[in-house]
Amino acid sequence: MTGPMTRRRWLLAALGVAAVAWIIGGEWVSIHAHVPENHLIDALGGLAFLGAGLVALDRRPASRIGALMIAYAAVAYLGNWGNLQVAVVPLIGLAGQQFGGAIIAHTALSYPTGRLRTSFERAVIGVMYGVGVATAAVIALAFDPRADGCVRCAWEPAPFPSRTAVLTALLVNQRAGFGLVLAFLAAVWLRWRRSTPAERRALTPLWVGIGIVGVVYLMGAFASPDPSADSFAYLVWELQSVLQISLPLVFLWGLLSARLARSAVGDLVVELERPLRPGELRTLLARTLGDPSLELLYALQSQDRWVDADGRPGELPAGPDRGDGRRASVTVTDRAGLPLAALIHDPALDQGLVRAAAAAAGIRIENERLHADVRAQLDEVRASRQRIAEAGDRERRRVERNLHDGAQQRLATLALSLAMLRDRASADPPLAESIERTSAELKQAMAELRELARGIHPAILTEEGLPAAVESLADRSSVPVHVHADFDGRLAEPVEAVGYFVVSESIANVVKYSGAGAARVELSRRDGILLVEVTDDGVGGADAGRGTGLRGLEDRVAAVRGTFSVQSPPGGGTRVSAEIPCAG
Amino acid sequence: MRAETPAGRVQGEREAAGIRVVLADDSVLFREGLARLLAEQGFVVTGQAGDAAELLAAVERDAPDVAVTDIRMPPTGSNEGLVAALRIRAEHPRVGVLVLSHYVETRHAIRLLQDAPARVGYLLKDRVSDIGEFVDAVRRISRGGSVIDAEVVARLLRRGDDRALARLTAREQDILELMAQGRSNAAICARLFVSPKTVETHVGSIFAKLGLLPAADDHRRVLAVLSYLRGA
Repeated sequence: MTGPMTRRRWLLAALGVAAVAWIIGGEWVSIHAHVPENHLIDALGGLAFLGAGLVALDRRPASRIGALMIAYAAVAYLGNWGNLQVAVVPLIGLAGQQFGGAIIAHTALSYPTGRLRTSFERAVIGVMYGVGVATAAVIALAFDPRADGCVRCAWEPAPFPSRTAVLTALLVNQRAGFGLVLAFLAAVWLRWRRSTPAERRALTPLWVGIGIVGVVYLMGAFASPDPSADSFAYLVWELQSVLQISLPLVFLWGLLSARLARSAVGDLVVELERPLRPGELRTLLARTLGDPSLELLYALQSQDRWVDADGRPGELPAGPDRGDGRRASVTVTDRAGLPLAALIHDPALDQGLVRAAAAAAGIRIENERLHADVRAQLDEVRASRQRIAEAGDRERRRVERNLHDGAQQRLATLALSLAMLRDRASADPPLAESIERTSAELKQAMAELRELARGIHPAILTEEGLPAAVESLADRSSVPVHVHADFDGRLAEPVEAVGYFVVSESIANVVKYSGAGAARVELSRRDGILLVEVTDDGVGGADAGRGTGLRGLEDRVAAVRGTFSVQSPPGGGTRVSAEIPCAG
Repeated sequence: MRAETPAGRVQGEREAAGIRVVLADDSVLFREGLARLLAEQGFVVTGQAGDAAELLAAVERDAPDVAVTDIRMPPTGSNEGLVAALRIRAEHPRVGVLVLSHYVETRHAIRLLQDAPARVGYLLKDRVSDIGEFVDAVRRISRGGSVIDAEVVARLLRRGDDRALARLTAREQDILELMAQGRSNAAICARLFVSPKTVETHVGSIFAKLGLLPAADDHRRVLAVLSYLRGA
C-alpha cells in the first residue's frame, strides 16, 4: 500500500482489525468445540478473502468487489461462531452459511467492478440468493440440534422441529445448486465472449480459477454432503477446502495483476531508448498496456484541438462510448497545467498503470506532440495554399466570363455598327476609308482582347476539359506540338486547371527558349493520379531553381499535393513532368 | 481580306433576297444590330432568341433557311449554341446553321462538320464586321455549303509539318486553304482570278499529293481536307 493515510484508510484499517478478530475468534470457537477440520486452512481462507477485500476497497473505491469479499469472510465465519453454544447463535451460524456460495458467485461474475451487467447474470445471482434465503428459513423454523444429538446445545427447540424437513431442504439446496452452477458457468462464458482484449488479459487467470471452482462445485452436486460417506465425497470435500483458500488468492492476484503489469512499463522505458518512427509510440503504449484499441491524440495548444501523430484531426470521445459501441476511457497527461496528450483506452485498464506508462513515455510524448503540431500546421498551410490557388482559378474564370459577356460582346456590337456605317458611307470614299481604318483598329483590339481573355482562362477548359484544351493549345503553337491523351473525360476543376497551367507554361517555354523543332505532350491517368509530361528536342539547360516560370509551376503543382520535376541536360532537350492527385 | 466590289454586293443583295434567318445571342444589342444588318442586306429575319431553348422553338415555329447562333449562351454559358446547332441539323435537315464564337476551336469545327457535314458554318464573331464575307457565308450555308473560319484553317496549315504539305506549290496551298474554308470551285476561281479548268487541275493535284480520295461535293471536301490537316 502506498500513499498517505486518509480518513478512509483509517476506517478500512479499523474494519480490518475487527474482521481479523471476527475470523480468529470464530476459529477459536471452532477449536474449543473440537470441530474436526483443518483450522489453519480455514482461517487462512477467511483471512485471504478479508485481505483481498480490504486491498480492493482501498485501490478500487468505486468497485463493490471489496465489500463483497469482506461480506463473504463475515458470513463464512458465522458458521464457526455457530459452534458457540450460546442462545440462538448456532442457528444464525447455520442459516448464514447458506449465503456463502451466492456471494462467491456474485463476486466472481461481477469482477472487477462488483456490478452485474446483464439481466441473465442478475437472474442467476438472484436465484442463488433466493435459494439461500429459503434454506435458511427452513433451518430457522425446523432445526432442533438436540434432536440431532447435541447434548450441550443451549437454546429452545425450533417452533416446528423436523429433522426430515431440514435434511430435505439441504438436499434440495444441493441439487438446485447443480443447475445454478451450470447457469453460472454459462454466464461466465458469455462475459468472456463480450470482453475486450484488455479485460481478458486482466481477467484470464481469474476466470480459469472460477472455471475450476465451478467444476468442483458441480462435482459436489453429485457427491454426498458427508465427506466420510465414500472416497469421491472425501475428494470433493478436500478440493473444496483447498479452493476455499486459493480462490481469494486468485481474486487478489487478478486485482494485483495491474500492479504486475507495471513491470511492462519497465520494458517500455527500455524500448523508448531507441529512435521511434512517427506513430510507433502508440503501438508501444498499446502493447505495454495490452490494449490494441488504444489511441493517442496530441493537444494543439494554440488551437484547442486534438490531432494524431501525423497531425490529422482527432476527437476525444464525448461520453463513455467511442461511438461504435466500444467503451472508452480518456487519460489526459499534462505539463504545467496544459494538456499534452490524451490516451483513449479500454476502461478496464488500471488508471494508475496508464498514468505510469504515460509518464515513462513523457519526453517522447512531448516530442511527438511537437512533431504532430508541426505536421498539423503544415497541413493547414498546404490546405490554405490550395484554397488560395483554387480561389485564383475561380477568379480567373470569373474575369474571363466577365470579359466575354462584357467587353468582347460590346466590341463585337461596335464592329457591327461600324460595318453598317461603312456600308452607308460608300458614297463618300474618304469617310469610308477612315471608317475602314477604325474598323481595322477595332479588329486588332478584339484579337488582342481575345488572346488576353484566353490567357486568363481558356473557355474550352471549362467546357470540354483538359485534353481538349491542351489540343487547342497545340493548335495555336508555332512549334508543332503532338498531343497524346489516354483519357477524354473530365477531372476535378482544380486538377484540370493545374494540368493546363503546366502544359501551357511548358509550351510557352518551348517556343521562347528551347529552339526545339517539335514538342510532345502526354496526358495519362493512373491510380487516381494525373500524369502530365511535356518533352521537346531543344537545347535543354532549363533550371527549375532559376527563372520564375518553372518555379511557379512547381509551386502550383505542390499546392494540389502533386510532384513536379524538370530534366533538362544541356543539349539534351527538356522534359517537364507533373503528377497530380485527382481525388479530393 | 479582299475589298468587296460594289458589283459583288449588288449580286449578294439580290441573291440574299428572301433567305429566312433566325438569330440567337444572349446580347440583345448585338442581336438587334445583326438583325438590322441582315435585313438591310435583303434577308428576312423571322425570329430572335436569347438562349438555346428559344432558338429551338423559333426554328420549330419559323422553319428558317439558316439559324445564326452564338456558341456561349445561358444558362451555363458554355457551348449550348453548338449543341443546339447539331440538334437543329439532326431534326431539321433543311435548316442550315451558322455558329458564331468569340474564340474558334478546331475541335468544334471538326465536330460540326462530322456530325452535320452540310449546311453548317463556324466563324469568329469578329467576321460580322466584314459585311460582304458574312453575308456570303450565310448565303452559302442556305444553299447547302459549309463555312469554316479562315483562322481555323490557317492554324491547321501552320501546324502541318509533314512533307506532303511541303510538296504543294504556293498556288496549291492557296487553293487548299480556300477549300478548307468551304469555298466552292467557282468561288475559288473568283478569288484567285483563274479559270475553273485550272482550279480543277490544282484540286486534283492537291488530292493526289495528299493521298486523299476525290470528294463528291464541296462540304465532304471540307471535311476531308480538315481531317487531313488535323491528322498531319
